[in-house]
Amino acid sequence: MARNCIVVNLDRCTGCFGCEVACKMENGVALGERWSKVLTVGPVGEYPNMTRYALPTMCQQCESAPCVSVCPTGASYRDEKTGIVLVDKEKCIGCKYCMMACPYGVRSWNTAERCVEKCTLCGHLTSQDKVPACVKSCAAGARFYGDLDDPSSAAAQELAKYDDADIHTLQDAGNNPATRYIMTSMIGQWQERVEPKGHPHTAAYPMAE
Amino acid sequence: MEIQWSLVLFTALSGAGAWLVACAGIDAFKGLARKTVVPAIVVGIALIVIGGLASATHLSHVDRIMAVLAHPAPGIFLEALLLGIDVVVAVVFLLLYRRGASAGACKALGAVAVAMAAVFSFSCGSSYMMASQLAWNTPALPLGYLGGAMASGAACWYLLCAVRKEDDAALIWAAQLTVAGALAAVVLPAVWGFASGVAAGDGAVLFWVGVMACGGIAPLACGLVGMKKTASALPLAVVAVVGAFIGSVAYRVLMWTASVALMSLFGVGI
Repeated sequence: MARNCIVVNLDRCTGCFGCEVACKMENGVALGERWSKVLTVGPVGEYPNMTRYALPTMCQQCESAPCVSVCPTGASYRDEKTGIVLVDKEKCIGCKYCMMACPYGVRSWNTAERCVEKCTLCGHLTSQDKVPACVKSCAAGARFYGDLDDPSSAAAQELAKYDDADIHTLQDAGNNPATRYIMTSMIGQWQERVEPKGHPHTAAYPMAE
Repeated sequence: MEIQWSLVLFTALSGAGAWLVACAGIDAFKGLARKTVVPAIVVGIALIVIGGLASATHLSHVDRIMAVLAHPAPGIFLEALLLGIDVVVAVVFLLLYRRGASAGACKALGAVAVAMAAVFSFSCGSSYMMASQLAWNTPALPLGYLGGAMASGAACWYLLCAVRKEDDAALIWAAQLTVAGALAAVVLPAVWGFASGVAAGDGAVLFWVGVMACGGIAPLACGLVGMKKTASALPLAVVAVVGAFIGSVAYRVLMWTASVALMSLFGVGI
């Protein structure tokens, strides 16, 4: 099955929030809700060895998606053709189990429709061989979409330029997130686990944890 | 995370109901509280059903609930399935008892009722074991659910025995069951309290006063005194029931307030 996802090159990301805005515009995401969010990690460390970077976040398209396995109605499901984790709002009963089970808290509650929603990787665009709105709008050219298993995809080609040590995922709790982040030592030290501290700034967890 | 009161009441009430039916099932082996078995099963079924209805109020689209039949995933489906089976077991047990079925049949159903109570009350907690929730992802959490339900159900049995004015032997046995349930309500929630850090964290007062003192020590003391003073069974049973329910509710409230997400990148609460 395809592993379609977003690859973000943090060496290039300027933290402009353009992806966040493009997502809301394209998908009509309600005021106060998000399917995509840019966090600022750090600064952490001590001068001169400090790290601070923008971290665009969205559904990580986990290969063992906990949101899918806990959903009692099958409203959270993986599309067989694209491999993308989606929400069928017609089946959602609003139990919010998937929101509890998501390791990254990247699902939103649609107050008007009283159901859960999230990033769809702009399926309405990608099904027409277009790229997601966040990828198209990225001013820094830092976002790439495609199947990780397809060497010709933009996502796979960007990853191929870097060493494994420079390719990261958010902390994996057994869910195998597909989304990849590229970050070299030029930017600083990758922080595996981050904790929001207000909007939009983020502090890294102490290294001891 | 916000306290989900619908789910708190669901597991507190349904768990107590399941264990009340289980106590009636245990009595099928002892035969001490003949006047109490029928009302206990009826009240037990009522508690299970009311709890189930409480859980439905948590849903935004109850009209789509039948969709769960198309996706028998663990968790909510398992809880609903076990709840339904438990009600069926209780109804069959009630019918057998009312129609004077053989002792063997009643004992068999009684044993099933005990097993179902244990499985159901444990599964209500095991649904919350998720890798994304650091304080929940331990078997100690559902064990705490089990302990609280045992205490609540046994205390309810003790109360019904007292209300039905059973003889001393039945009251002493009911008090002993209350002691057993209360011990479970002390030991099992304590394991999660220490494993999750709740026992020493922000919720320490609620844990020690609500879960331990009210939910465990109070029914334990009532049961121990009740084993010797059958004349005071009614007030002792009332205190045991109130304490056990406070403990059950407090434990579940603590579970919600102690939620620690692996990451909450959007800062969205539920």
